[in-house]
Amino acid sequence: MNAVQTLKLTKKFDSLVAVNGVDLEIKKGELFSLLGPNGAGKTTTIRMLCCLLKPTKGTASVLGYDIAKEPFEVKKLIGVSPQDTILSERLNCWENLALIGKVHGLSSNEVKERSKELLETMGLMERAKDQVRKFSGGMKRRLSIAMALVSDPQVLFLDEPTLGLDPQARRTIWEYIAELKGKKTILLTTHYMEEADFLSERIGIIDEGRVVALGTSQELKTNLLEMRSMVVSTENLTAEVMENLQSKYSRLEKDKGRLKIYHKDLDFKEIVDYLHSRGVTVYSAALEQPTLEDVFIQITGKKLRD
Amino acid sequence: MNFWEIGKRNLKEIYRNPILLGFLLGMPVAFMLVFCAAAGGGQASPISLSVVDEDHSQTSSAFIQNLGSIEAIELNETIYSEKSQAQEDLEDGRISFYLFIPSGFEEAKQAQQTVNLDLAYKAADPMIGLQVKPIIEAVGSEFLGVAPPLTVELKGTESKIKNEVVNFYAPGIAVFGLMILISTAAEIIAGDREKGFLARMFTTPARPSDFILGYSLPFIPVLIVSTLIYLGVGMALGLTVVGNLGHVFLIFFLMGLCSIGIGMIVGSLIKSESQAGVSWIFIVPMAMISGAWFTVENMPSAVKSVAGALPFIHAIDASRAVLNGSSFSAITLDIYWLVGWAVVLFAAGIVLFRRTMVS
Repeated sequence: MNAVQTLKLTKKFDSLVAVNGVDLEIKKGELFSLLGPNGAGKTTTIRMLCCLLKPTKGTASVLGYDIAKEPFEVKKLIGVSPQDTILSERLNCWENLALIGKVHGLSSNEVKERSKELLETMGLMERAKDQVRKFSGGMKRRLSIAMALVSDPQVLFLDEPTLGLDPQARRTIWEYIAELKGKKTILLTTHYMEEADFLSERIGIIDEGRVVALGTSQELKTNLLEMRSMVVSTENLTAEVMENLQSKYSRLEKDKGRLKIYHKDLDFKEIVDYLHSRGVTVYSAALEQPTLEDVFIQITGKKLRD
Repeated sequence: MNFWEIGKRNLKEIYRNPILLGFLLGMPVAFMLVFCAAAGGGQASPISLSVVDEDHSQTSSAFIQNLGSIEAIELNETIYSEKSQAQEDLEDGRISFYLFIPSGFEEAKQAQQTVNLDLAYKAADPMIGLQVKPIIEAVGSEFLGVAPPLTVELKGTESKIKNEVVNFYAPGIAVFGLMILISTAAEIIAGDREKGFLARMFTTPARPSDFILGYSLPFIPVLIVSTLIYLGVGMALGLTVVGNLGHVFLIFFLMGLCSIGIGMIVGSLIKSESQAGVSWIFIVPMAMISGAWFTVENMPSAVKSVAGALPFIHAIDASRAVLNGSSFSAITLDIYWLVGWAVVLFAAGIVLFRRTMVS
């Protein structure tokens, strides 16, 4: 049995199709990332899996329980960290954690133990007794993730867990999520390439409500990226040379002396030789490793952060 | 017991918010002070006169009619035939004073004898007796055809109620004050919905009833304390409790539960904190026809039926009655109305709330 399974999952808001026939299979213990730009349908998908939204069409199940028919069974098994950090502002850390823990049926002792462990891991112990409304964004986010974990859920939904955090705070959260790998099933949404690349075992690229690519980070880069790219540092590039290159290769990007060439079955030597023959000075030339960003551009035709 | 956890959270959110707490508890004090101080000691005009007719004769009826035609006097429709009954009403504060026509009135008139009329009034309000005495003397002399010495004897009676105006307004103020819980309760739910806190809680196994009870719970202490304030400040300002104070408390408590129930429903229907203002569209008209400020007796029958169906008028009527000495059996029907409404409102709140949990 898969931890999370969706079949033709669809959500329409009036005329807008936010999620369009999404099929996902996430195995137990897997860390899966949904990667896509804002408005791609990531949060809507998570909200359906958390039983907050009713699918317009299609079905989904969490550990075998149907999200539409058995929502309270699903809710017992999941932990959710919403995209906006949502805490009870006039409660302290202990009280926030206890609220979620107790509603999930934990005893006072269990709550205390779990909270202590989480507050230490998240580096919140020093301020644990302060009302959280005085906390910084990073601290709130860490507590919010701790709240998703306090009930020791089998399936964890993390909606943009590091959105708006500074790099250092992001690093801390990544490390903690990485520690959970294999122990929990985690579905994470993000629009940070490096986050999906660093954390996940498998990535689903989602755009305009559809999953457009699925696989490990490496698979996506090698299988899907037919295009290769190379970067050349040059001087005295003439308009004629540029025109010739443009007619021959798929795509050119020029930024001052830095030229980036995209093409299928790119021949490194051929390009360098051609430039030399035309008297263009070549300082350096290198083939580039494709990035997830390249994959994304390749598939959707647009940049991720737009 | 999930409702208890949600309730504890809401309790802390309210009690750690000094502005909200100040509003919830300061408002009853301010309300009571302003209204009772403004209303204190006033007496409505014209003077309402009650009559005890022990003579039951044509002559006595004619005399009463004569009294009724005088502008300064508004004749009470009920003519007592027993003095003891009028005396009881006077002591309990239902009437301010009464004129006693003894048996033998007709004979005395025919025989042109001197007639003795007693004018009994509240000792706390001697002005009434002095004001009315000359009017009755004048009317009596003319009617009987005797020159004044028609003797009207003034008899002061100790009334149990010190200030009827306060006894009239205090229940209205308390019930109106408790109606404000409607908007506060709605605002707190809507605020949590707007901030996303409810959505977060909806991903936990908590049920709709846990939320409705959990959001009502923190208002129970508020309700108890504000009821004590209404009664306490009221008593300091001259409110007289003739009946059982516990019964008055029970009525206000049930009334408060109804308000919280309505607040839960409004809170389930609205999307944002700012929309909680719509509560006032209901609160103000409902208060207008609750009998808090003026009686609904003279309103169109449709309005009267609506008022009678709503819980507020029952709370006000019942609490006024108990304050003025009624026993529990006299208000049982009102209590049923209040309990019924509270149950219906909470059930409706749960049903409506369930619909908001998934969209």
